[in-house]
Amino acid sequence: MAFLPDESRSLPPPPLLNKGSVWLGFAGWLAALLDNAFNQRPVLRAGVHRQVLFATLGCFVGYQLVKRAEYVHAKVDREMFEYVRHHPVDFHSA
Amino acid sequence: MAAGLRAVKRWGLVAAAPRLAFTRSASVVKKANNGQPSWLGVGMAFGTSAAVWAFLIKEHNEDVMEYEKRKQERRHKCTGCS
Repeated sequence: MAFLPDESRSLPPPPLLNKGSVWLGFAGWLAALLDNAFNQRPVLRAGVHRQVLFATLGCFVGYQLVKRAEYVHAKVDREMFEYVRHHPVDFHSA
Repeated sequence: MAAGLRAVKRWGLVAAAPRLAFTRSASVVKKANNGQPSWLGVGMAFGTSAAVWAFLIKEHNEDVMEYEKRKQERRHKCTGCS
């Protein structure tokens, strides 16, 4: 299956800075800081280009993953509501 | 006692100067010089970051426009042409 099928574009797109992209961007930045630490460079001031690159790639991957997660959740919700619609007897609220 | 000492040395408990201790390895490591940045690397990193952000922002705007377009189409289909 495609990573993001065409029907996923009918869903409202998540905001650019959402849970996933911010968290993975932060994780990427942290990875760059760890790289500095392990190579005995000043942790925050060294390799700013590396910090920016890793954070950017983290945001990008996070955004794509959140889009896919929202698509999968919406698909499952749709299937569930369809099932409930087709089996009203099982879902009588007592 | 000599035999025992020989055995201990074999177990590496008694330090002996390594003679002819060749290690064969294909990797060669240079000591990294962080004092002189490779400006090509810096440029490529910033350039790639800028390109990825531009792509991401473009993709997000396209997603929003596509969603709005499909919403309009769905409304149009449901209510019919008024």
